Amino acid sequence: MTTDTRATTEYEVAQLLIDALHLEMTAGEIGPEEPLFGEGLGLDSIDALEIALAISRTYGFDLKSEEGRAHQVFASLRNLTQYIDTHRTK
Amino acid sequence: MGKATSFRLVCRPSDHVLFRLKDGAITTAKFLSMAHQLADALPAGDHVVNLCHDRLHFVLGLAAALLRGQVSLLTSDRSPERLRSLQEGYPGLYSLSNDQAVSSPLPHHHYRAQPPRPWVDEPDNPEIPASRLAAIVFTSGSTGEPVGHAKSWGALVERSLDAAACFDMTEAQPASIVGMVPPQHMYGFETTVLLPLHAPASTWCGAAFYPEDVASALRAVPAPRVLVTTPLQIRALLQNSTELAPLERMISATAPLFPDIAAAAEQRWNTRVFEIFGATEVGSIASRRTVDGDMWTTYPQVRIREDHSDTMVEGPFAVPHALSDVVEMLDARHFRLLGRRADLVKLAGRRASLAELNRILIGIEGVLDGQFVAPDDLDRRPTARLLVFVVAPERSADEIMADLRGQIDPRRSGLVR
Repeated sequence: MTTDTRATTEYEVAQLLIDALHLEMTAGEIGPEEPLFGEGLGLDSIDALEIALAISRTYGFDLKSEEGRAHQVFASLRNLTQYIDTHRTK
Repeated sequence: MGKATSFRLVCRPSDHVLFRLKDGAITTAKFLSMAHQLADALPAGDHVVNLCHDRLHFVLGLAAALLRGQVSLLTSDRSPERLRSLQEGYPGLYSLSNDQAVSSPLPHHHYRAQPPRPWVDEPDNPEIPASRLAAIVFTSGSTGEPVGHAKSWGALVERSLDAAACFDMTEAQPASIVGMVPPQHMYGFETTVLLPLHAPASTWCGAAFYPEDVASALRAVPAPRVLVTTPLQIRALLQNSTELAPLERMISATAPLFPDIAAAAEQRWNTRVFEIFGATEVGSIASRRTVDGDMWTTYPQVRIREDHSDTMVEGPFAVPHALSDVVEMLDARHFRLLGRRADLVKLAGRRASLAELNRILIGIEGVLDGQFVAPDDLDRRPTARLLVFVVAPERSADEIMADLRGQIDPRRSGLVR
């Protein structure tokens, strides 16, 4: 069985969120199923833009609004990690 | 010449494009037809809170409410608590949205825009009295409890005409606006929703949030292109490598835009970057090209008047309102911004703003960073003095004090010790 050495982990995406938004917490404290926006982490649309920039720099692809998808992608750390994993170019 | 006492719902030629989508364009005639279709379906009521994320649905909701004589409430905070508290102030309030995911505790009208019915005659484009209350726009609440500001139909239309004059829009070459700001925010409401109804412009109604969205939106619309954005978003675009289609101008508001960012944007996209100055309570009132300096030019019909200690803003059909910023009038139509009124300190009977003082401080040779700090009891204790913290490794405190005295208005020079 081969292992995808590039597999994105929830831990590293949590760390990316913390670095991009200067959150005062550790990666382990962001629950994988917790909503990122509104309740939960309580991020807002400006944060989404910051996250998009960080993702573009780190993983080499640009986020796009796809109808009905943006909501899902940012629904939780788990969703965001899966989305990054299928779209990353580096 | 007397002022018009009413304005049509849409003041554009019937075959001109008001809104653009990925797969088509909405002309005046088509828009009116769709608005009537929604108006017929709206519930009865006096007030509707328009929660539509999608710009086309938002503007159809606004138009349909106007056709039904209902007032639109605009709030950026769409939390259930906020909506319930609005309901207390506006009994019978219902909410409107095209988004399935919206959870509203109010009676809710969900809709998706339908292609317009075939029409035999031109759809009705009614005259709406200028004095009619059209919308109540709520502040974001970042400076306290959200407050609603009443906007009459005439005030909204006249301000759009002003903006069009200010940004050189003509029916011969209508501007294509791509807006990155939500329609519920006063700035986004004026520039992306109201402008196309009354001024030579069309607005993109597809996605325009991420840099990649903005790039495809600009590719999809004809020149001259205008990007309506914010300082944060300009910074995000600058950091992104995506190329943009030729841009006639960028317009920024919501926060001060640093001149070096404006200059970088002008150079990168071979465009001109303008800022709009305004606030939820007064709307857009002035503009400037950021790289040209700190002087603002008021919109043609806006008047700024000093009234005792207040700076009043007046415009056709608009409720006169005091600015929460301090301005220095240079002549009837030009001013400099000195800072937020809340930043004001009283210095020996005269007003000065901390922002203005900080600007002077940072401009002093050898000062890398610095900040004036007002003690809490500055107003009450005659011996209280402003404090200054300065990072200036090459200069002594005495030298900096001497420079400050020289640069601060001589009338105030005795005030800083």
